[in-house]
Amino acid sequence: MNVQRLLERVPVDREAEERAWAVVREAYREREPVRTRVRRRLVLAAAALVVACVAAALSPPGHAVVNAVRRSIGISHAAPALFRLPAPGRLLVSGGGGTWVVSADGSKRRLGDWTSAAWSPHGLYVVAWSGDVLAAVDPSRGDVHWSLARPHVSFARWGGTRVDTRIAYLSGRSLRVVAGDGTGDRRVAAVVSAVAPAWQPERHVLAYATARRVVLVDVDTRTVVRTLHVSGARFLAWSPDGRRLAVVTGRGVDVFGARRSHIARRGVRAVAFGPGGELALLGARSVLVAGSEGLATVLRLPAALAGLAWSPDSRWLVTSLPGADQWVFAGRHRVLAVSHIARELGGATPALDGWEPGA
Amino acid sequence: MTAALSGIAVAARPQVERRERALVRDAQRGSVQALEQLFRLHWPRAYRAALLVVGDAAAAEDIAQESFLAAVRALDRFDRRRPFGPWLHRIVVNRAIDWSRARALRREVAAEAVAEPAAAGREGGGRAEELAAALASLGAEQRAVVVLRYLLEYTPGEIAELLDLPRGTVNSRLRRGLDRLEEALR
Repeated sequence: MNVQRLLERVPVDREAEERAWAVVREAYREREPVRTRVRRRLVLAAAALVVACVAAALSPPGHAVVNAVRRSIGISHAAPALFRLPAPGRLLVSGGGGTWVVSADGSKRRLGDWTSAAWSPHGLYVVAWSGDVLAAVDPSRGDVHWSLARPHVSFARWGGTRVDTRIAYLSGRSLRVVAGDGTGDRRVAAVVSAVAPAWQPERHVLAYATARRVVLVDVDTRTVVRTLHVSGARFLAWSPDGRRLAVVTGRGVDVFGARRSHIARRGVRAVAFGPGGELALLGARSVLVAGSEGLATVLRLPAALAGLAWSPDSRWLVTSLPGADQWVFAGRHRVLAVSHIARELGGATPALDGWEPGA
Repeated sequence: MTAALSGIAVAARPQVERRERALVRDAQRGSVQALEQLFRLHWPRAYRAALLVVGDAAAAEDIAQESFLAAVRALDRFDRRRPFGPWLHRIVVNRAIDWSRARALRREVAAEAVAEPAAAGREGGGRAEELAAALASLGAEQRAVVVLRYLLEYTPGEIAELLDLPRGTVNSRLRRGLDRLEEALR
């Protein structure tokens, strides 16, 4: 028996080699030379010192006053409870009280003690995660169809077609993709930014952000479809027709499509494409919609806003006012608000994970 | 069997190491081509070693890939006077041992659906397949020692250094591992 010869005959998976090379090559391109890194660390250390000084100047009592003011700011005519949604569909929300599905009639179903969640492309399932676990959950019953243990799971997004779906998620700083049935889990990129990846609708093309670029990769063939040289991306969103990709940075929003356009506006936190392709922007204290005549403000409040989602019928935008424990629904001609969200759903005001059609 | 095992050729090592040093230097200077050559040179053995230790194709891919990523992350600090191969193999084999130890502790509801059978079982056929199956019956540490000795061609002294083990332990694990393999393949 020649053990050496036999061991060398164990075949190597060529596809695995190509997948690994794609990941290693990207990690290599993203790496920074040592000198730059040292210089950047010095700059960061100096910045941290400045921040520490400012933080020391702002005393805890002062901060408490600010919070008290924030709590008092909200919409005064808010409904005392969420009796119903202003449009059909189901809202997926997550917070300290777990993940919930809120139906149009106001009924709420708790799916479990998850940190956050996202809808599958057609609203049939929910991908939820918490700590080191990623799971596919039935939104009508909360049953877990499958789960997968991976370290530090975050930012899961479900994409693909009705019959062949994929879930992309972050495990620590690496980007992984698993099939919709929980099989074939693979790493796609080694080091990515803490930004939710975005699936091109009805395709297996995924957009993800690194420090210096946004990469569009076909996850089945592991080929990079396009590299967008945008540094510091904070949020990614595809239009429903898959022709435009919006990339939020500290300088505004870059929209890539047949041609590139730029919306110069600082402080944008998130964007959402409506079912008809309208682009809404969430600023620190306002919600705007980009139209042919520029940006139109649809909501402006004197307190911080969080989260943004379109209703499935395109008539409403929902955001939340965590400081006032309210959700705010902005329609074409009116604004509705609901208070005591935390009391109904537990924990702090839950984050808005998505608004999908369905009962 | 001992005679067959003792014919391990290590004569080509200095040449390979010289070539590796040049590739590492070029990769440190930013050459993707040099990095790719290093990767292509080492991937088959790194993957095979991981696969033979963990017996799971998906995990082997992850482990080998992680090891190359560790190499990329440490590339700027890498001392070119040291050989690249042993450094990479140390990472691969230690990670594979850790993975095997942790496997039983993993909370993985869909484990049976996610893990793929070892590639050896699918394509290898014949004696290679039997050997992979026999290897699977050994403990992870024993598998690692056998793989380091007979796939990656390290001497027991080098293996002791790579795994941070006493040389006597390496020898006894090798002996016991080979006895078990011989028994299984008889």
